[in-house]
Amino acid sequence: MLDLGRRSRHAVLWVVAATASAAPIFAQNAALFRQYCAGCHNNKVNTAGLSFDGADPANVGGSAGFWEKVLQKLQTGQMPPAGLPKPTPEIRQATVRYLETELDRAAKLHPNPGSPTIHRLNRAEYSNAVRDLLALDIKPGNSLPPDDSGYGFDNIGDVLSMSPVLVERYLSVARQVARLAVGNPDVKPAIDVFDGLGEVRTGAKGQRAGRNDRLSKDLPFDSVGGLSFQYTFPVDGEYVFTIKTARPNSGFGETAPPVGLIFEQRVPVKAGVRHVGLTFMRSDALAETLPGAGRGGGGGRGGPAPPTAHLDLRLDGARLKLYDMPEGQRGREINELDIAGPYNVTGPGDSASRRRIFACRPSTAADEMPCARKILSTLSRQAFRRPVTAADLTPLMAFYEDGRKDGAFDDGIEAALRAMLVSPEFLFRIERDPASAAPGSVYRVSDLELASRLSFFLWSSAPDEELLTAAEHGKLKDSAVLLQQVSRMLDDPKSKAFVENFTGQWLLLRNIDQIKPDVEQFPAFDESLRRSFRRETESLFSYILRQNRPATELIDANYTFLDARLAEFYGIPGVYGSRFRRVELTDSNRGGLLGQGSILTATSYPTRTSVVLRGKWVLENLLGSPPPPPPPDVPALELHAKGRQLSVREAMEAHRANPVCASCHARMDPIGFALENYDGIGAWRKAENGAPIDASGKLPDGSQFNGPAGLKKLLLTGHRDEFVATFAEKLLTYALGRGVEAPDRPALRQIIRDADREKLTVAALIRAIVQSPPFQMRKTKQS
Amino acid sequence: MRITTNKAIDRRTLLRGFGAALALPLLDSMIPARAAASARPIRLGFVYTPNGMIPKGWLPATEGAGFEITPTMRPLAPFREQMLVVSNLSLHTADALGDGGGDHARAGATWLTGVHPKKTEGAEIRAGISADQIAARELGKQTQFASLELGIEEPSFAGGCDSGYSCAYTNTISWRSATTPNPVQISPRVVFERLFGDGESTDPAARLKRMRQDRSILDYVNADVSRLEPQLGARDKRKLDEYLDSIRDIERRIQKAEQQTDANNTPRMERPVGIPPVFDDHVRLMSDLMVAAFQTDMTRVITFMFAREGSNRAFPEIGIPEGCHVVTHHQQDPEKIAKAQRVEEHRAKSFAYLVQRMQDTQDGDGSLLDHTLLLYGAGIRDGNSHDHIDLPLALLGGKSAGIKGGRHLRSKAETPLSNLLITMLDRVGVPVERLGDSTGKVEQLAGV
Repeated sequence: MLDLGRRSRHAVLWVVAATASAAPIFAQNAALFRQYCAGCHNNKVNTAGLSFDGADPANVGGSAGFWEKVLQKLQTGQMPPAGLPKPTPEIRQATVRYLETELDRAAKLHPNPGSPTIHRLNRAEYSNAVRDLLALDIKPGNSLPPDDSGYGFDNIGDVLSMSPVLVERYLSVARQVARLAVGNPDVKPAIDVFDGLGEVRTGAKGQRAGRNDRLSKDLPFDSVGGLSFQYTFPVDGEYVFTIKTARPNSGFGETAPPVGLIFEQRVPVKAGVRHVGLTFMRSDALAETLPGAGRGGGGGRGGPAPPTAHLDLRLDGARLKLYDMPEGQRGREINELDIAGPYNVTGPGDSASRRRIFACRPSTAADEMPCARKILSTLSRQAFRRPVTAADLTPLMAFYEDGRKDGAFDDGIEAALRAMLVSPEFLFRIERDPASAAPGSVYRVSDLELASRLSFFLWSSAPDEELLTAAEHGKLKDSAVLLQQVSRMLDDPKSKAFVENFTGQWLLLRNIDQIKPDVEQFPAFDESLRRSFRRETESLFSYILRQNRPATELIDANYTFLDARLAEFYGIPGVYGSRFRRVELTDSNRGGLLGQGSILTATSYPTRTSVVLRGKWVLENLLGSPPPPPPPDVPALELHAKGRQLSVREAMEAHRANPVCASCHARMDPIGFALENYDGIGAWRKAENGAPIDASGKLPDGSQFNGPAGLKKLLLTGHRDEFVATFAEKLLTYALGRGVEAPDRPALRQIIRDADREKLTVAALIRAIVQSPPFQMRKTKQS
Repeated sequence: MRITTNKAIDRRTLLRGFGAALALPLLDSMIPARAAASARPIRLGFVYTPNGMIPKGWLPATEGAGFEITPTMRPLAPFREQMLVVSNLSLHTADALGDGGGDHARAGATWLTGVHPKKTEGAEIRAGISADQIAARELGKQTQFASLELGIEEPSFAGGCDSGYSCAYTNTISWRSATTPNPVQISPRVVFERLFGDGESTDPAARLKRMRQDRSILDYVNADVSRLEPQLGARDKRKLDEYLDSIRDIERRIQKAEQQTDANNTPRMERPVGIPPVFDDHVRLMSDLMVAAFQTDMTRVITFMFAREGSNRAFPEIGIPEGCHVVTHHQQDPEKIAKAQRVEEHRAKSFAYLVQRMQDTQDGDGSLLDHTLLLYGAGIRDGNSHDHIDLPLALLGGKSAGIKGGRHLRSKAETPLSNLLITMLDRVGVPVERLGDSTGKVEQLAGV
């Protein structure tokens, strides 16, 4: 707890001293606000619900929410609006500084770190927590209903609700997880189908190669296309692999390709997670006709007969069987791969999950209870993310005994595990106000709570044993220890979850999976390009994070990450193979987020680009000033004037002549036009429909730029602060799992100032967030 | 030994499965004795379509019994006599009312609630309890599931959903309480497993054992939550109350299921896997499940969203590769209007499949359609202007509940949609005084 009493006495003296010197400034400010703001923002007109009547610039802290809004509008130059009188830049700057200083001072005096609502684990967090608890990476969260999101993210405690559907799914998923983890030999045989499109029971997802690519590093170099996935074999036993190839589609309205050949292979497999690969051999020289030909391709009909094709089935990299595809069956795709089993179960096997769970094995009946207790206390400590008590263990032991009564020792553990996975202590992150804290007071969260905040921020998962132990011993109060943990956690592969979940939502990358670019317009687009798009953006972010690069390189990096497919698509020579690697760019247009196919596709319509969507995306996600939605019944774009067809640019310019439209479009459109050299999936083009692209633009403030390179330069010169503030705010939202509110703004400014001393690297921003009051503290509930 | 076949989807197989396994013998034994003795229960279905409908494509010019089938409702023509087109109803609560943009979010959130939603990106989401949930509270006492919430489209994955509104508002139309939106199920497999158990437990003895296990887990959770609650503030408590409330719902369901397992009538049919990529296939599969759920009296209340509100799904299968949201903002461009209308007719065609299935399904002395009140329509009139007056709506079926179809009923201007909703609730025997902004009932449903 903070010693607020002493601090505030000290601060009061400090404020009195400071206020005395600030007096002339706010006297001046009062006149300024009357002159430039109160004309529209008064009690009568009340534009945008803001009124300066009664606002006292000498007491900014008294209505911090109001002044934070004013500050933001002044800072970004959005107010006063174009066409109305403005203060000089010097006066504006001085006012901004004054407001900032006063607001920050008030926040120091009366910190308000907020009190996040208890937080149900979202799907990704649930999957990861299960993975880390049981060494079982089967993404069970995918079997839960999707989560709602708020503030652009799906880890917002306020919108993560509970419903009967969800609880039912928790029960059902817990049952499957517990059975798989324990390796119950009574497990019923089942068939899982991998067709690269559909979901399967285990939640794993097969991937289908779209073109002539090697699908995975787990497959041989000379492989091409096929399927590649991790599969959890629940127990030691026999499994049947069934391969179904596709016959060419007859073209008569069939939605799924009919089944061609069927191959079956029955093999004994040891329990555990194994890599399954099914692929064609590149040496067959089928590259041109095979997967790229698509389902309707048919392959080689009428042409010279290609050599016999081979299908290669592999388990953990070792060949199970090489199949000849007989003459007349070439040019086919794999329709699906089924894995059925287990049959003739020989035992639970020695899976990573069993090694994790069974910390002991009872050798006598008398050993059983103590061993069960040991297993369950270890697991529940991890699951509940805190030391456990007898009150936690007693009910779990009751489940154990119940299960043991009807079965073996393992069945008892499985029963207890089933219950543990549905416990509110596992499913919710709960922070409790200390009994001693007065209502409405501010306190530092416990080390254990901080450990969870940290691990769900950086890993989207529960703390590991090292973090938990440090927290248990109260070590996280020491900021050196805390920062050492942050750096360890960022180095851990689990931090991939942060990169994926944060960029996936901040940059709308997740939407890429749902976008269906029109095949007629964009024949180059396919599933492998879709995957490479995401990978490029994640790789850039990950590199900037791990190599301590400044956040601004997200905009202006002169390198990117490519595999052969993406390099070919971008027209960058010299990149071969499916490995993603860092490539220096010579073309200043391509580097940074704005040159990436992922974002350019996510901000396009299925059939064409949209300057409005792209402009809006930049304003909203990079500059933090989203335009308001369009008014209803907007007038049609006039595509004809002066007796001829207008270009989209001309039509949009005419549209902007309407002042109602202009106020927003004047900001959005020029940004979008600067990106018009990228088509609807991000390929470079010089012309559209025969007319050369004009990528020049001018913003309302008069700044001019041309093309992506010009736009990037503008973003990092005139608008650098807005970009940094927006990025930091998105990071903080994600880190806290709640919206950033006015009382958080001073902390946000401090985070940026702290990180700025370390070249504003992404890692420095993360460290500053972790050390900030909203991340470390909490306000008790007003009772 | 039993094998769960997760085969690639073949709708025909599934239909055969339903046809064979869910035929009459099953039905009779699964109906609670009381219900079987008397008339069949009346069910409620709400089918929501996004982005409004082009008014001139939907709205019949003629009122009363002589109304003409308009282009958008053409697929529903075979059911003209069971269809009551209701026009001129409004969702005033979906208007901005000072909240600025966000007509899509508000349309979805008000459709069944009649309550203007709180504009928030996340903190303290709030609308109102929805009509389906009011019905579910009562009708659900008789069935294993109080209600089902089905959908066709994944919730939005990233970003805001509509100008300052949390995605919770566009993802669902069903609100369990003012603060708890119900998630929508889009996976046919998940719905199937909820209804008929997951593949490993169709054996009645095993199912019973499983239910007992689930029940003891729920007891444990219940105790745990109760232990936690005193330590928490009001907002946190509300979250845990959602949990307790859900637990009670499932406990009640388990109880129902235990009473009914002796019937041993879990259908032997193939469990669907995956989510069909094509809209119509997906709707048909969900419709089959909806019919099965009503037919076996697993539930009497279902909402079904053809898309989340504001959806920009493309329909390349009917030659409309641009998003459906884009074309509804037609700006009077005749080509876009035509395309929007084609999407709307396509949706009506998929909906007609559900109606057909219901009509073909024998239920007591009539068809399932006779015993179901099925509301179809949107929360926006015209996607171009985003307005919420004169909504495109039609009521299908409900003959046994005294609904007289074959008419176009034009209500007085300014009549809230919630008036129709409370009238529907009345017809299924769940009378309520008000719902959201309702001002009274729509008395003319039974005919002139």
